[in-house]
Amino acid sequence: MIDAVGNVLRLIGSFFPPDLSPHYLSALLRPVAETIGMAAAGMLVAFALGVPLAVAIATRAPGRRLIVAVLSSLRAIPDLTLAILAVVVLGLGPAAGIAALAVFYTAMIGRVFGDLFIAADAAPLEALRATGASRIAIAAFGLIPLTAADLLTFGTYAFECAMRASIIVGAVGGGGIGTELVGALSTLDFHRTLTIVIVLVALVAGVDSFGVLARRAPRTVLLLLPVGLIALWLNRPQIFAFAHALHTFAGMFPPQLRAEQIASLPLLIAQTLAIALGGTLIGALLAFPVSLLAARRLAPFALVVAVRRVLDVARAIPELVFGLILVVSVGIGPLAGAIALGLHSAGVLGKLYAESFENVPVAPIASLAATGARPLPIVAFGFLPLALGPLVVHTLFRLEWNVRAATVVGLIGAGGVGQALFQAQQLFFYRQMFAYVLVTWALVALSDWLGERLRIRLGWHFVAAG
Amino acid sequence: MLEIRGVRVVYGRGAPPALDGVTLDVAAGECVALVGPSGSGKTSLLRSLNGTVPIAAGRIRVEGVDVAAVRGWDLRRLRTRLAFIAQQHDLVDRLTVAQNVMAGALGRWSTLHALRFLIVPAAAEFAEARAALESVGIAEKLRSRTSELSGGQQQRVAIARALVQHPAAILADEPIASLDPELGEQIVRLLCDLARERNIALLCSLHQTELARRHFDRVVELVGGRVR
Repeated sequence: MIDAVGNVLRLIGSFFPPDLSPHYLSALLRPVAETIGMAAAGMLVAFALGVPLAVAIATRAPGRRLIVAVLSSLRAIPDLTLAILAVVVLGLGPAAGIAALAVFYTAMIGRVFGDLFIAADAAPLEALRATGASRIAIAAFGLIPLTAADLLTFGTYAFECAMRASIIVGAVGGGGIGTELVGALSTLDFHRTLTIVIVLVALVAGVDSFGVLARRAPRTVLLLLPVGLIALWLNRPQIFAFAHALHTFAGMFPPQLRAEQIASLPLLIAQTLAIALGGTLIGALLAFPVSLLAARRLAPFALVVAVRRVLDVARAIPELVFGLILVVSVGIGPLAGAIALGLHSAGVLGKLYAESFENVPVAPIASLAATGARPLPIVAFGFLPLALGPLVVHTLFRLEWNVRAATVVGLIGAGGVGQALFQAQQLFFYRQMFAYVLVTWALVALSDWLGERLRIRLGWHFVAAG
Repeated sequence: MLEIRGVRVVYGRGAPPALDGVTLDVAAGECVALVGPSGSGKTSLLRSLNGTVPIAAGRIRVEGVDVAAVRGWDLRRLRTRLAFIAQQHDLVDRLTVAQNVMAGALGRWSTLHALRFLIVPAAAEFAEARAALESVGIAEKLRSRTSELSGGQQQRVAIARALVQHPAAILADEPIASLDPELGEQIVRLLCDLARERNIALLCSLHQTELARRHFDRVVELVGGRVR
């Protein structure tokens, strides 16, 4: 036991000090720029494709059912799985990252904006339709202005997600800071690894504050336009590469698994689900006590601020990055995968739990406090039962998310479907790889569907962004 | 029991005082109604009694203890002696009625005792909750979800919770404001009967002066933060 603690401490010690030499920091500028460029370019394409699709859905264009079905199923493929596909088809580098992000976020923007458009006030739209306006006119004069505030909120949220995704698609060869991180870890250069993690946290924090700024001054979003255009131009598709890409893609058909691989599928799926469940459990168990210290109505202000910073850091580090560090330190396996998911989930859930506690109605808590009750009993008799609904919903959402994330951490050796997928890619068995992509897709789609059904049954069907 | 001497309460600098030189005594077993228009200081007075609203001048004593002088642990002990009943919505609707009633005992229970009660309640604790509910006339609701109760039943649960607290005084802030007149009168009669029977001081704010005169020993009118 003491040995194990010693090992962990020694391991953490080996990351210090970070390599902050001017030489290394300037060498990181290019990958950071690449990462930002990938996110901006991916989102640019996603908006260019997603908004018209959303308009088509909302204006009941012919074929909209097909559009909804395709977008929904694309959303069920984790971004990193898309990135692996893109790397295979387009080759290593930012072009693959941009393509993966573009596909994933086109699906997201198309579906969510479609829903927002459908929920828009009907009367002004009817008036527009009555004038015989075209779809584009209805979008420009009705749908978009009517929902502008929600579009902006969700758009900046999507960009924040794309930024995180842009970091992790790098880990499979998509370029940028993610590729740099994998390089540092594979050469066991822990000092530089820590430097990159610090840069990641700063990057995500920067994007978060950009999001806050964009909500206050929406025009700042336009800054991303030139960034995205430049990144797109630098990674413009090559004509000769296109034929090669098609050829590679065709090589994935028909997807096929050997008999013994089919026999081992249930085990792989069980492993992936175990990583997801374990990660959610670890996350929830860590998050609950921490969230009590992060809720403004429960803890002193200075403590709340400090604990929230820690949660911000845990949230800023993607599951895959936690996984990469754990794989090098703890070793490979499902446990490392679950811990990686758990640490990131604790950051997300800690914040959401704390906000749920803060949103509890005031009167019952005041009445409990008026009986002279101690703090923990007030939590147990008041905050906890009153916040139970949101707590359960947030945790279920995280579980759904973690099914995706579990396939992602599989790539680095945590096991499950993700690991099989990545191994097939590394060995150029593209037909097997595509079969595992389909399995991943089915698994995630099923878990999303089940989660949706469960929430409806519990009567807690509201959208909680994670 | 409750001694209020020249109490002044001011919210924020430069604002007119919410209470201005209020003096009032309530004896054990005495029922006093506070009437007056909205904003006349009724809620401020009730909340200053248990220390949730700080006073700018004057003095408040509860069972001889100076409210302004106690903090932390001592303030909590003082609050266990004062039961508070709000207008409505002050129960935890996801808990059972028994759990809400026994929340009145939280002030005298240790943290461990409180947590244990949520997981494995003892028979004696159930009996206490049942007795309290019997005295407010809804013993059959012991195991119900609080969210299933009507507004009048919820106020009865709040009174049962106050009884479980074994208080020296009950402070009720417009406890019948959201009930229909007939039901409201029943609740007021119940509160006054219980207070007299158990020798508890009752200070209750109301809108209905006529109703107050019918049931309370004394009616005190507040206007603009002063006793008229």
